[in-house]
Amino acid sequence: MAFLELTNIHKAFGHHVVAVENFNLKVERGEFISFLGPSGCGKTTTLRMVAGFELPTSGKIIVNDADITFTPPNKRNVGMVFQSYALFPNMTVAGNIGFGLMIGGKPAGEIKSRVDQMLNLIHLPNYGDRYPYQLSGGQQQRVALARAIAIQPQLLLLDEPLSALDAKIRVELRSEIRRIQRELGITTVYVTHDQEEALSLSDRIVVMNSGKIEQVGTPFEIYNFPTTAFTASFVGQLNLIPITVADAASGRSTFNGISLNTSQPTSLANGTFAKLALRPEEMNFGKVAGKNLLDGKVESITFLGSIVRTRVDIGGSTISVDLFNERKITLPQVGEQVTVNFPAHACWILE
Amino acid sequence: MKRFPFFAWFIILLGILYFFTPLAGTLEWSLRIVSRDSFSLNAYTNILISERFQRTFTFSFLAALATIAVSLLLVAPTAYWVHLKLPQLRPVVEFITLLPFVVPAIVLVYGTVRVYSRPPLSMMETEFGTNFLVVMGYTALSMPYMFRAVDSGLRAIDVRTLTEAAQSLGANWFTIIMRVIFPNLRVALLSGAFLTFAIVMGEFTISNFILPGILSFGPYMVNLNQTRTYEAAAVAILSFGLTWLSIGMIQWLGRGAPGQNQQIGGTR
Repeated sequence: MAFLELTNIHKAFGHHVVAVENFNLKVERGEFISFLGPSGCGKTTTLRMVAGFELPTSGKIIVNDADITFTPPNKRNVGMVFQSYALFPNMTVAGNIGFGLMIGGKPAGEIKSRVDQMLNLIHLPNYGDRYPYQLSGGQQQRVALARAIAIQPQLLLLDEPLSALDAKIRVELRSEIRRIQRELGITTVYVTHDQEEALSLSDRIVVMNSGKIEQVGTPFEIYNFPTTAFTASFVGQLNLIPITVADAASGRSTFNGISLNTSQPTSLANGTFAKLALRPEEMNFGKVAGKNLLDGKVESITFLGSIVRTRVDIGGSTISVDLFNERKITLPQVGEQVTVNFPAHACWILE
Repeated sequence: MKRFPFFAWFIILLGILYFFTPLAGTLEWSLRIVSRDSFSLNAYTNILISERFQRTFTFSFLAALATIAVSLLLVAPTAYWVHLKLPQLRPVVEFITLLPFVVPAIVLVYGTVRVYSRPPLSMMETEFGTNFLVVMGYTALSMPYMFRAVDSGLRAIDVRTLTEAAQSLGANWFTIIMRVIFPNLRVALLSGAFLTFAIVMGEFTISNFILPGILSFGPYMVNLNQTRTYEAAAVAILSFGLTWLSIGMIQWLGRGAPGQNQQIGGTR
C-alpha cells in the first residue's frame, strides 16, 4: 500500500465553485511529488486538505494506513512550509524551530540538541538567538523548513515556498530543499506554479488544471511525452502548427501542401484539421535530408543567455526555434529566408 | 532653502492654545488655595491625604483592572475568531462594538436598572451585584476602543497563516492564542487596556446611577467640584496627568516592541 493515498477527492466551496474534482493519487514513502498548475487549478486546496486546513467534500485521505480525512491538523503530524514563511515573530529562530517539540512535551535538553541539529542542517548554526525580522527572506524560509521537519513529521508539505524569493536565492534554496529531503527520506508534497521548480525537484509531477489531474509522471515523461494539450503547452514552450491529417496510420500530415511525418499513428480520421506539436529546442536551421522541412522568414531573434530564440514565420503561422548558444554560433538575420528542420520523432499530433 | 511653514505652525499654535489655556487656568487656580498672591500645593496634599479620595480612587482603579480583564477576555478571542473564521461577520461585530458611541450611557443605565432591579435578576440590592453591573457597563463603554485596538493589531500580522503554522506543529487552540496570537498582539492589547483604564477612571454616568452613593472616582470629582473648588481643580489636573501617563505608556510600549516596524509574517 502506498504511503499517502488520496482517493476520489472532491472539494466544492458552496454550491457552485468546484475546486478539486475526482482526484486520485498514490505517493510512495520517501517520494518527492509536485503539484504543478496555474493559479486556481486546485493544487493548493488539495495540499491544504492533506494538511487538514480544509476538509474534502467527499473522498478519503490515507497516510501510513491510517485514515486522516477528518483528523484535525494538529493531530496529523504533518510539517508545513508556507509561501509567507509564517515564522512566529515573537520567538527567536531557536524558539520557532523548537516550538513543535515544546508542544509535544519534549524535555528541554532534547529540544536544544534537536534545534542545534536542525540549525546545522540548514547551514545557519549561529542564528538560534536571532529574531525572524533580523533574517533575510531566504534565511527565514530555511528556518521555516527546519521548524517543519524538527517534529519529524510523516509528511512534509510545501506551499509555493520559493515564490516570495529572489531568482538566485530561489535556485539555491531549491537544491537545499531537495538535499534535505533526500537526507531525511521524508515523503514530500510540493505545490508550485513554476515548471522549472517542479521539473528540477520532483520524483513525479502531478499536472493540474481546473481542479483535475491532467497527467502524472516523472519530469522526463511530463516534458517529453505530454498526454494532454494542456500539459504540453503548460510545461515548457510548445509550437503548434495547424495541419491536416493525411495518413492516420503512419501519422503523416500536411501543412500548406508540405508533407510532415511523425513517428506514431493518430486516431484522427484522414482530412481532419488538427495541431502538430513540437518543442522549439528540437528544431534547427538548414536543409537536412530525411527530416521534416519548413520554409519561412525570420521575424525576430531574442538572446536568452544559454539559448537563442528565433521566431520564424512559416506562412500564416509563427513558430519558435531555440538554438543552444555557443561562442561560434552563426545566427540568421531578421528578414532572412530560412529552412527549418526537425525529425519525425520530435513531433506529434494533438488529439 | 525651504520656506518656513508659517501657516502650519500657526494652526498648531492655535491648537495648543485651545487645549492648554483651560488646563493652565485650572492648574493656576488649584495652586491659589492659600492666598490670591502666592502659590501653594495645599490643595494637592489635602486631596491625596483625604480618605474619600483614596477610597474612590482605589475603587475605580480596581474596577478598571476588572474591566480590562473582562474586556480582554471578551473582545480579543472574539476579534481573533472573526478574523480567522467569520470575516464576513466583521462589519456586524464592528457595528455592535460601536453601539456605545451611538447609544448614550444614560440609556444603558436606564435599561440596566430596569432589568436588574426586580426578580428574577435583582442584582441592585447587593454590593457585589452593583459592582458587577458597573464593571459590565464599563466593559460595554470601552468596547469600541478595545475592539479597534485588537482589530488593528490582528490586521498587522498574518493571523491565518500563523495559526495554521502553529496547528501543523501540533498546537491546540489555547496554545495558539496564548503563545502565538496574544504575544504578537501585545502592543495592541496594552493600548486597548490603557484606553480602557483612562475611560473607567473618569466615568460618571454609570457609576453615579448604579452605585449606591459616591463610591467611584468620577462622581467623587463632580461632587468635589460642587463643594471644594480648589481641590476639584487639583483632582482635575491629577486625572489629566493619569490619562497622559496611560497614553505615554501606549506610545512607549509600542515603540519598544521587537519587529513592530518590520514586516511581520513575511510577504503577502
